[in-house]
Amino acid sequence: MSHGVLVDTTLCIACRGCQVSCKRENGLPAEKTTFNTKGNGMQNPSALSSTTFTYISYSEVEQGDDLKWVFAKHQCMHCAEPACASACLVGALTKTDCGAVVYDAKKCIGCRYCMLACPFNIPTFEWEKTIPFIKKCSFCFDRQEAKNAPSKVNGKDLPPEQAALHAKTFKEPACTRACPTGALLFGDRKELLAIAKERIAKNPGKYVKHVYGEKEAGGTSWIYISSVPFASLGLPAKLGNRSFPSYARAAKEAVPYVIFGVGALLSGFYWFSKRRSQLEQAKEKAK
Amino acid sequence: MTNHWNDLANSDCVMVIGSNAAENHPMSFKYIKEAQAKGAKLITVDPRFTKTAAQSDVYAPLRSGTDIALIGSVINYAIAKGLLQRDYLLTHTNASYLVKPEYKFSSGMFGQVKDGKYDSSTWAWQKDEEGKILTDPTLQNPSSVFQLLKAHYSRYDFKTVSGITGTPVEKLEAVASTFCATHKPEKSATILYAMGTTQHTYGTQNVRSYAVLQLLLGNIGVAGGGINALRGESNVQGSTDHGLLFHILPGYLKSPEAKDESLETYLKTVVPPNTDPQSQNWWANAPKYVTSLLKAWWGDKATKENDFAFSYLPKRGGNYSHIALFEAMAKGKIKGLIAFGQNPAVGGPNSNAERAALKNLEWMVAVDLFETDTSVFWKAPGFNPSEIKTEVFLLPAAASVEKEGSVSNSGRWAQWRYHAADAPGVAKSDLWILTRFVKELKRLYKAGGAFPDPILDLTWSYGDGEEPSPHLVAKEINGYFLADTEIKGKAFKKGDLVPGFANLAADGTTSSGNWLYSGSYVNEGNLMARRTRTKPEKDPLGLHPEWAWCWPVNRRILYNRASCDAKGKPYAPKKKVVEWDPKAQKWHGDVPDGPWPPPLNEDGTQNPAGRHAFIMVGDGRAALFAPRLADGPFPEHYEPHESPVVNHMSPQQHNPVITVWRPEEVGKAEQFPIVASTYRVTEHWQAGAMTRNIPLLVELVPEPFVEMSRELARTKGIKTGDKVTVTSKRGSIELKAVVTPRLKPFKLKDKEVHQVGIIWHFGYNGLATGPSANVLTAHIGDANTNIPEYKAFLCDLNLSGKGGRS
Repeated sequence: MSHGVLVDTTLCIACRGCQVSCKRENGLPAEKTTFNTKGNGMQNPSALSSTTFTYISYSEVEQGDDLKWVFAKHQCMHCAEPACASACLVGALTKTDCGAVVYDAKKCIGCRYCMLACPFNIPTFEWEKTIPFIKKCSFCFDRQEAKNAPSKVNGKDLPPEQAALHAKTFKEPACTRACPTGALLFGDRKELLAIAKERIAKNPGKYVKHVYGEKEAGGTSWIYISSVPFASLGLPAKLGNRSFPSYARAAKEAVPYVIFGVGALLSGFYWFSKRRSQLEQAKEKAK
Repeated sequence: MTNHWNDLANSDCVMVIGSNAAENHPMSFKYIKEAQAKGAKLITVDPRFTKTAAQSDVYAPLRSGTDIALIGSVINYAIAKGLLQRDYLLTHTNASYLVKPEYKFSSGMFGQVKDGKYDSSTWAWQKDEEGKILTDPTLQNPSSVFQLLKAHYSRYDFKTVSGITGTPVEKLEAVASTFCATHKPEKSATILYAMGTTQHTYGTQNVRSYAVLQLLLGNIGVAGGGINALRGESNVQGSTDHGLLFHILPGYLKSPEAKDESLETYLKTVVPPNTDPQSQNWWANAPKYVTSLLKAWWGDKATKENDFAFSYLPKRGGNYSHIALFEAMAKGKIKGLIAFGQNPAVGGPNSNAERAALKNLEWMVAVDLFETDTSVFWKAPGFNPSEIKTEVFLLPAAASVEKEGSVSNSGRWAQWRYHAADAPGVAKSDLWILTRFVKELKRLYKAGGAFPDPILDLTWSYGDGEEPSPHLVAKEINGYFLADTEIKGKAFKKGDLVPGFANLAADGTTSSGNWLYSGSYVNEGNLMARRTRTKPEKDPLGLHPEWAWCWPVNRRILYNRASCDAKGKPYAPKKKVVEWDPKAQKWHGDVPDGPWPPPLNEDGTQNPAGRHAFIMVGDGRAALFAPRLADGPFPEHYEPHESPVVNHMSPQQHNPVITVWRPEEVGKAEQFPIVASTYRVTEHWQAGAMTRNIPLLVELVPEPFVEMSRELARTKGIKTGDKVTVTSKRGSIELKAVVTPRLKPFKLKDKEVHQVGIIWHFGYNGLATGPSANVLTAHIGDANTNIPEYKAFLCDLNLSGKGGRS
């Protein structure tokens, strides 16, 4: 089952519990920040970095006399067909069954093609380190794939009902688990997509009639619904619905033919030039 | 809270006023969002378009300090349109009572003020020869509370109010029509408030205005209703329950005054007169609670012969509120200070004055998790440490998760917490620190001193271990039987825990450290440690009666019998909290406000054994007209002590019975034309000692800022991120500007007024530092509670280097 997260920005109150719990889960240090004009003084840190895998953006959106203050979570979208994985020469980035696009530092050669390939500008690089790696949200795949959640609290077994609840919440990402309002809903992507469409249909006028991430860049595990255009939340617009690796696919698929064809052609050239040289040599000998 | 957090999900309309719940109580939005998903409307009333406003169906801006005007217009609308819960008014409120004909309201005053106090003798009822209050159930008598109320608020029409609050008339209408739609018996609305309501010179009356509105609509005691104070600290409910404030003992018993010379004379002031045969007048039990409290504190030394050691209790003879204490300190009248988890150098109003007052101390003990700004007050800007003689001790304290004990949330749930991690270094629990204080005091008093008995005789039996036992404290609070007793056939031994406050006695045979918590820790176990989720089919309202323990007697919704008519039938059958079962002669549902039958029998005849729902007042009925407050029986609009405009409601500019401490420090609108308010953000907590030292939180909000409208910024040439200087009559600070469409100038009757807002968490010590907003606020407080008026004062503001001090 491929997991996803439905981000319903109409439910987000920007408590930033997700942002802090992400840092705690991943053992990331605080950045040394100052007052940041991004988000009109509210957003911090200003962008994703090797020590910040997610942040909440603040958007004051004015539509005539109507003012909306909308908050959106930004992190790796975990594409269905990730451009980063496709661009990786050594297979350090892979899409897993649970939906997470994960990174294997042992394989990484530090070429940073993934950073250039990502349509959402997500992967970051540890520029400050001597042996740098790529850093990004892992969708807490280790939590998702954990076999067993701890079933004891203060040395005592949890009652079965509570243990079941604990196991369920343990197996979700740290950020969604911290969300108090349900703005981040973790689950089966297909079901989340259905929920998103139902919310849009049942609340006419409340949402923009579009689920961002359903099709963008070939579809992403994290999907968004919003009361304002997605571009005003800082989500890239005009990405198209084709997955980024698919653009490269035609070229890549041609590779064997090209290799064979060019090889054959070059072989032909070689044969031709060799034959010509042999004939010339024979001519000279005949002289 | 009359109700509790989970219950917000049962509401049809949530009004947030004087609170930014989404910012400061994020968890509340779990339940508000549930309510909204079921079709409930969310109304936000706030000077700023806040995070809460961003979630709202209706947002109404208002100028800081004009809540009574705005709510008054909603009251006027409800009465004019007849959007009232009439049966509720007659059954459960004093709407039909007749007030003395001498009662008069004119020129914004409720009578004569002498020596800063009202002559309140006219705020009283007409009575018959037997002392029974006269009523008019038709509500037509001009002296009836209802008619007086109607006349009082008829002055609060939308146009007049809009000229005061700056709220557009159509927004006032939207608030009124949306909220008053819940007058229908099956509908409920709740009001959530916090410090934006209380921190005014008429803060108590702000809350009273909410009470009047909610009573008119029949929204108190019902599921999804009530008036809910969102407490600003995780356990501030617990600390007020246990006597944090100077005028109350644990369990909201009045603390004795100098004139209360004996237990008998004191008790006379605690028990209100019972004016209705169907009133239970629960405070008549106060003698049992006082005696049990004295037995808990002085044990065997509290005997019938010595008035249960009543003479050991300190008797107050003045005002010991925060402002008054710091004024006394400024005059050198206070030698020592124990700042226990407090940071007044940042959190107190008029910081410059309060920091200067600290210099007069001979000694200070600060107990905290971190080195607070107060504990290093010699580092305050402009201070010369070499001139400060105060000896300061900093005792490192354990955090809440580093010790065991209970925490009482806003919804009155006492929840037991476990020791999750050891405290670092030599940090100790508050209980450990207090125990060392007491032991040392006892040792010193043994050697002599004035009146040593209260200290020497004080019980302090919380175990002999290194760490005192919080379980023994909790048991003492609950109370013990001090003699073998039998109750309803059940035998209790001396030393058994009391099952509830109904078993406390005035004869010295029981003890209880706080009657309200009696029943929390019983022979069966620690009920505060319960963690059972009740399934929705058994608990459709989500009261969760077996999760933790709720005061009083595990009652989840206060005044819940008011959710039923006079015969005990629920007004809202689909949201039934309690219901009277005439066959079984008992109440079903939540723990009711007492076991007595409702006032009327099934056939409509009066039941002499029946009792009114509001058992904590002498006549059993909720007060639309409340004669007991210092500043009048009805809430009336006054301007904040510093205001940019004259009062358009009456010639009386300010609350006439407030104490003005520093008349020379009152800013005038000519010099300081901008209204300012202070507030908090999610990421920081109070005076910041706990959050400004946490890197992950400092990362999110590293500096303080001032929010202002684009219109104001344009006139001053300010952009987001610019440094600006904000000045009030008390002082000046420099901080970054946030220029936003979320603030708009207020169009008042005769002028346009700008408002700005400043976060107040910052100080000069810690990982993240910045100027304190309270440098600007004033030493002026509420007429009833003395809470400082942090939320409305005057300032001026300029781009740094241009007309301002930089």
